[in-house]
Amino acid sequence: MSPAGCSHVNGYKVDNWKQNLRVIYQCFVWSGTAETRRRKAKSCICHICGAHLNRLHSCLYCVFFGCFSKKHIHDHAKNKRHNLAVDLLYGGIYCFVCQDYIYDKEMEQIAKEEQRKAWKLQGMLTDRSLDYYVSGIGEKYTTWEPTKRELELLRHNPKRRKITTNCTIGLRGLINLGNTCFMNCIVQALTHTPLLRDFFLSDRHKCEMQSNSCLVCEMSQLFQEFYSGHRSPHIPFRLLHLVWTHAKHLAGYEQQDAHEFLIAALDVLHRHCKGDTTHDNGKKANNPNHCNCIIDQIFTGGLQSDVTCQVCTGVSTTIDPFWDISLDLPGSSTPFWPLSPGGDGSAVNGESHLSGSTTLTDCLRRFTRPEHLGSSAKIKCGGCHSYQESTKQLTMKKLPIVACFHLKRFEHSAKLRRKITTYVSFPLELDMTPFMASSKESRMNGQYQQTVDVLNNDNKYALFAVVNHQGTLESGHYTSFIRQHKDQWFKCDDAIITKATIKDVLDSEGYLLFYHKQFLEYE
Amino acid sequence: MYVDLKMRATINQKLTEMGERERLKELLRAKLTECGWKDQMKAHCKEVIKEKGLEHVTVEDLVVEITPKGRALVPDSVKKELLQRIRMFLAQHAT
Repeated sequence: MSPAGCSHVNGYKVDNWKQNLRVIYQCFVWSGTAETRRRKAKSCICHICGAHLNRLHSCLYCVFFGCFSKKHIHDHAKNKRHNLAVDLLYGGIYCFVCQDYIYDKEMEQIAKEEQRKAWKLQGMLTDRSLDYYVSGIGEKYTTWEPTKRELELLRHNPKRRKITTNCTIGLRGLINLGNTCFMNCIVQALTHTPLLRDFFLSDRHKCEMQSNSCLVCEMSQLFQEFYSGHRSPHIPFRLLHLVWTHAKHLAGYEQQDAHEFLIAALDVLHRHCKGDTTHDNGKKANNPNHCNCIIDQIFTGGLQSDVTCQVCTGVSTTIDPFWDISLDLPGSSTPFWPLSPGGDGSAVNGESHLSGSTTLTDCLRRFTRPEHLGSSAKIKCGGCHSYQESTKQLTMKKLPIVACFHLKRFEHSAKLRRKITTYVSFPLELDMTPFMASSKESRMNGQYQQTVDVLNNDNKYALFAVVNHQGTLESGHYTSFIRQHKDQWFKCDDAIITKATIKDVLDSEGYLLFYHKQFLEYE
Repeated sequence: MYVDLKMRATINQKLTEMGERERLKELLRAKLTECGWKDQMKAHCKEVIKEKGLEHVTVEDLVVEITPKGRALVPDSVKKELLQRIRMFLAQHAT
C-alpha cells in the first residue's frame, strides 16, 4: 500500500468533514468520557448480526456499524457506495475501492489527536472501586517519528554507537590539576548517577544565564565528554575554574574536602537550574524551598525532627530538606553507644558483624535514636508554655532518589584535628524502612514490624558509588569506586581507571557512600 | 462455564462503559510486549511482507497470515492473568 494515501478520500473531504471525523473518533473509537463510553457500549454492535467482535467498522458516510470479518461492512459499502470505513478497534481508515487501509496525512493527524485526548482523560479516572489497577499515566507511548530537522541531523552524523551489556561507555579518567582529586571523585559519582546522566544526555537543560559561567552547562559538557567514547583522560580545567568562581571557599590548590565540594557543587547546580524549573502549566517555580530542578528531584530528602516535651509529652515537629546524611562514627569525641549486634536494622540489611565492627545501619540507628537534650538545653514547650527538658529524635520523612551518606571521619574540634579510620561496613543493598518517620509512628502505635514488609519496595536502595580517602588529614588522596550496569565496579584514581571487585569496594574504608533507589515511582 | 451470546454482550457493555476494556487492552499490550510476543509477531509480519512484496501486500494479507500464529503464541500466564482481572471486575460490579 502506498504511503501517499488514496484519491478516493477526496470525495469525503467536503464541508465539515474534519469535525465529523473527530466526532466519530471521539464517540466510537477512543471514548474518553463516561458519556461517550456509555454510548459506545450501547450502540457499537453490528447492524446486521448484533455482534460486537469480528473487527467492527463504522461507515464514514452514515451511521452504520458492520463486522469486517463477516463482510457485513463490505456489503454496506457496495450497496450504498460508501467507500470509507473506520476500524473501531485501532482507528485505521479502510477504502473499499483500494481494498486496503489507507494512510491519509490529514486523517492520521486527526486520529492521533483524538487518541491522545482520550488517553489523557482516561489517565484522570478517579473511580476508586477499580483501584487494584495502575491507571494510565501521562502520555500514551507512541513510536518516535523524526522531524525533517532530526532526519537531516541523523544523515549528517552517520556514526552510531551500540551499547552492549559489557561496554564501558561513560567511563573516563580525570587529570589531577593539583590536589583536585577531591573534585574528580565527586565528578565520577555524579556522572554515574543514572537519573542525572539521563537528564543531561537528553539535553534537558535550558540555560537562562547570560554569562558563560553556568555550572549546569559545564556539567552538560562534562557528560558529553564522558559519554563520547574517548578513552583518554579528560582535563576538567573549565569545571575547576567555574567551581573557584562560584564557591570561593574551595579555591586554591590545597586539598579540599570531597564532601564540602559535593554540597557546594549541588548548591551551585541547584541555583543555576532556574531555567529548568517549570510546573506543568508553564509557571516558573520561584520558591527556593520548593524548587523542582533536577538536583532537588534527585538529591533532596526531608528530615523530620521531633522534639518531645518530657512534661506534657507534646511533640513539636519540623521537616528540613537535606542533600546528605552526616553520620558520627565510634571513636569520635561525640558519645557513641555501640548498639548490640543483630538488632532489627542489620538483620534487614544483612551486614556482617565481624567481631563488633560497626555497620552503616548501626550509624543510622544512632542517628535516628531519641536523644535526651539535657537540663542545660531546655526548649520552650508550646503545650505547657514553659521551658522543659525534652528529647529530640530524627527520622526520614521523605527519602531522596539518591541518598548520600557522609561518614564523619574528619574531626575538627577545638582540642584536636584528626582522621577517624575506624572500619565501617556498608551493604550493597540498603533498606531504609526502619529509619522512616512512618515506621516510627507504627512502632509508637503498637504495630511492631516483626517481619520486613517485602512488598514495600519504596525504601530499598542500591550502592552505586563510594568515595574513599587515603592518608592523613594533612596529606591524603581521594579515590572512588563507581558501578556500571548491575554489578561491574571500577576504581577511579584520577586518570587511572581499573576494574574492581565487589569485595574491593565493600572492604574499603568508605567516606562518602552513594545509594540509588531501586524502584522509582511516579509522584 | 458456558457463556451465551447475550451474556457476552452484556459483559462487553459493562467493560466498555466503565472504561475497563481500555485498561485491560493496555495491560494486555504491556504483557505481550514484555514476553516478546510483539517482537515475534513483528518478525513474522516482515517475513510475510518479503514474501508478498512490499508494493502489493495488504493489511488483510497480514491479518490472515499472522492471526492463527498470534493466537497460538499468547502465553498461558497472560491468558490467566487477563481472565483473573475480568473475573475480579465482574465480581465487583455484579448486578
